[in-house]
Amino acid sequence: MDQRTPRQPSRIAAALLLVLGLTAMLTACGSDDPESLTVYSGRSEKLVGPIFEAFTADTGIALDVRYGSSNDLALLLSEEGTKTPADVFLSRSPGPAGYLDDLGMLAKLDDDVLDRVATTDRSPTGTWVGFAGRGRVLVYNVDEVATGDLPGSVFDLTGPEYAGRVAVPGSNSSFQDWFTLFRLRNGDNVATGWLNDMVANGSRFYPKNGAIVEAVGRNEIQFGLVNHYYNFQKVAANGDAQRSANHGFAPGDDGGLMIIATAAVLNESNEQDAANRLLTHLLSDEQQRYLTDSVYEYPLALGVAPADVLPPAPVDRIGAVDIDDIAAEFTRTIEIIEASGVLDQ
Amino acid sequence: MTDITKVPRTGAARHRAGVGRPPKPLLGTAILIAALFALPGGYVAWRAAGGSESPLALLGSRQTLDPLWRTVQLAALVSVSTALLGTGLAWLTTRTDLPLRRLWRVVVPLPLVYPSFVGAAAFISGLTPGGVVHDLAGVFGIELTIRLHGLVGSWLVLTLFTYPYVYLPVAARLTTLSTAFEENARLLGDGPRRVFLRVVLPQVGPSIAAGSLLVFLYTLSDFGAVHLMRFETLTQTIFRTRLFDRDRSFALALLLLVLALLVVAAERTVARSGTRRGARVSAIGDRQSLVVPLGRWKAACTAATAVVVGLALVAPAVSLADWGLFGWFRSRRGAAGLRLDWDDVVAPTWNTIWVSTVTAVVAVAVVLPVAYLLARHRSRVGGVVNAVVVAGFAIPGLVVALSMVFWTLHASPFEFLIGSMPVLVFAYVVHFGAQAVRTTQVAVEAVPLRMEDAARLLGAGRLRRLATVELPLMAPGLAAGAGLVMLSTMKELPATLLASPIGFRTLATQIWNTYEALFLPEMAVLALVLLAISATMTWLLVIRRSEHLR
Repeated sequence: MDQRTPRQPSRIAAALLLVLGLTAMLTACGSDDPESLTVYSGRSEKLVGPIFEAFTADTGIALDVRYGSSNDLALLLSEEGTKTPADVFLSRSPGPAGYLDDLGMLAKLDDDVLDRVATTDRSPTGTWVGFAGRGRVLVYNVDEVATGDLPGSVFDLTGPEYAGRVAVPGSNSSFQDWFTLFRLRNGDNVATGWLNDMVANGSRFYPKNGAIVEAVGRNEIQFGLVNHYYNFQKVAANGDAQRSANHGFAPGDDGGLMIIATAAVLNESNEQDAANRLLTHLLSDEQQRYLTDSVYEYPLALGVAPADVLPPAPVDRIGAVDIDDIAAEFTRTIEIIEASGVLDQ
Repeated sequence: MTDITKVPRTGAARHRAGVGRPPKPLLGTAILIAALFALPGGYVAWRAAGGSESPLALLGSRQTLDPLWRTVQLAALVSVSTALLGTGLAWLTTRTDLPLRRLWRVVVPLPLVYPSFVGAAAFISGLTPGGVVHDLAGVFGIELTIRLHGLVGSWLVLTLFTYPYVYLPVAARLTTLSTAFEENARLLGDGPRRVFLRVVLPQVGPSIAAGSLLVFLYTLSDFGAVHLMRFETLTQTIFRTRLFDRDRSFALALLLLVLALLVVAAERTVARSGTRRGARVSAIGDRQSLVVPLGRWKAACTAATAVVVGLALVAPAVSLADWGLFGWFRSRRGAAGLRLDWDDVVAPTWNTIWVSTVTAVVAVAVVLPVAYLLARHRSRVGGVVNAVVVAGFAIPGLVVALSMVFWTLHASPFEFLIGSMPVLVFAYVVHFGAQAVRTTQVAVEAVPLRMEDAARLLGAGRLRRLATVELPLMAPGLAAGAGLVMLSTMKELPATLLASPIGFRTLATQIWNTYEALFLPEMAVLALVLLAISATMTWLLVIRRSEHLR
């Protein structure tokens, strides 16, 4: 578009540019930082917005952020291909990042960034890094269930005492992430058998983690397989009126899993250094503390402890298993979930 | 059958049925418009053709057939129930002595503005323990055990949130129709029921069919409500497989599009037979509205209207207010207060207002040539243009957004426009323009050619005739179409998230943002703001426009 302006404003613009340029020279002192980066964020503005603001305050690099659901943004990126304006992609889970990795759209990250987290929390090829974790837990109604009766294993949920009392978010992407790992560790037979037993046991299907926590809170159903994060948000909003709580399965049990939110840099980005800097910022002690203290997620940077209120962090990670073909595995997961009939419960 | 409405079919009306060929410029414009509206469908076909799944082969599997059957069932049920509800409400609020008519006219169309994920969520939570409706019933000793889900839940929620698609066009039609026939019929001794069935219904038939068609197509495309109601329709399957089985997702989307085309073609056949039966009646006539006294039915009709508005508009709003108040009082209990500042509300509100207004005006202007072609001329091209423009409404918004990105970046000279306002408005117009086609067509049909002939004889040029004769006569119909587009645009989400300039925030994106983070009280406040401005704008732009003639 033609941006020419009448003479007066153009003089003002020139003056502004001069001032901006001088300021940039004074502050940057020879570094060649870009003025801005474009971020596609699958995490909500309400959660990660403050982290972005702090980055701009620290570095002077403005961030243009497009928020959306991780899956939709991954589709958008694949449609944009080499013409994408995005430099950085944040995703709720490794799935969408893996999808883009398969398309060859992700760049190898700097070692400094990768070394901020354990090897289990980054892609085997170094194309994405986890920056926050949500644990898979069992949410339960505190009025209906005594803490002594809580199960140690996810396999207990197929027993008669749980008949018709457990909510399963079969179409939810976090659940599907978990089920993929569950399958890879136990084999398709055991995993399919467990899901079929859950269906036979009258487990009910809910589309979303949040819907399950709400339903459990009002005792519509007594248990639910969810991410730990939702209950904290509900308690923050409702205080003691929220009648649900999180229960972590026994350490090492297959029911517990850390779903990690991932950050990646696009191959096409011309600002690889600045993009890696944003990832370093995301994994800094300060921002990791914010993520765990204010957003109730598990920090993934080495040496940062989770907030005291969180249940012990699950050991297993979705990234822990080397999945050769993520797309194929997820397709298989969806097939099994569909065939089980759990979505009709 | 001796139909009283057949009387004016002689002379001008027959002339108007327009056996004549459409003029070339009109035909060319309509084809160009159809080509633009075909972009999302073309994208789906292109991707499906390049994928490994064949839509026909998928048709053989239960994993396709079951959702397909559920989709057809749901869409048919919702279409029928909204036809009844929308027509009944339109008649009550325009033709009877129903108390508080002016109020009803403003609030009855509003449920359309609830983003369906918000509406369904509010509805579910209102009816379950701890919810407003549930607890209120408890006060009266009624233990509500309804748990909404599946076909019934989806049907109820979609009916309550989409009946305005029928209501607005039918009410607009009733407003412009001359009441002379009704009066004659009454004078000849017909009772109100007979007048309604024999005189009113044939005249509004095409408007009802058009509205129901929109409902059908909307139901095909809806994801939010069926998702929360746990009802696996075709669109749900398309969404679930969109990332990890993209080929199947696009093949299914193509099936959805074919289904939509078939339904649109069927509706056009019905609508044309309706036209033959004499549905085109002049908009000119005695505008002193005939008021049907409801008599002893007045209380029952008022109660029925109140129940519908109560369920579709007030109950979700109260549920939302309930959530919102939680946040308000939270600070008193020592917790954090509402995590919402002015920046979260003011700019998004302004953006929502102007972008939906611009889209509505552009959409009506764009479909006007199509409406002229359909109303004034019989041509094969008209049928194709109609199918392409209207059926596109069944394509989910996410696919429309992706198609815009695809065409802009890879197959057009407009790459530089990517992520700009024109692309976003274009996406909205292509997505929602279908909603304005039928109301605009009915509006065009309502302009008698003899008026135009007279104006032409008096020396008025084409533009002058359009501005001084036709547009004023068409105003209520155009306003109804624009109103539908405006309300839909206000709540649009996927295209706004993916195709807007980065950083462009509307109330819908803000509502989604807070909902995603489970900030329910904050979401509720934003949803109530959306409701308030949509009520104001419906009144300013739709209701007042259609009433200035009266």
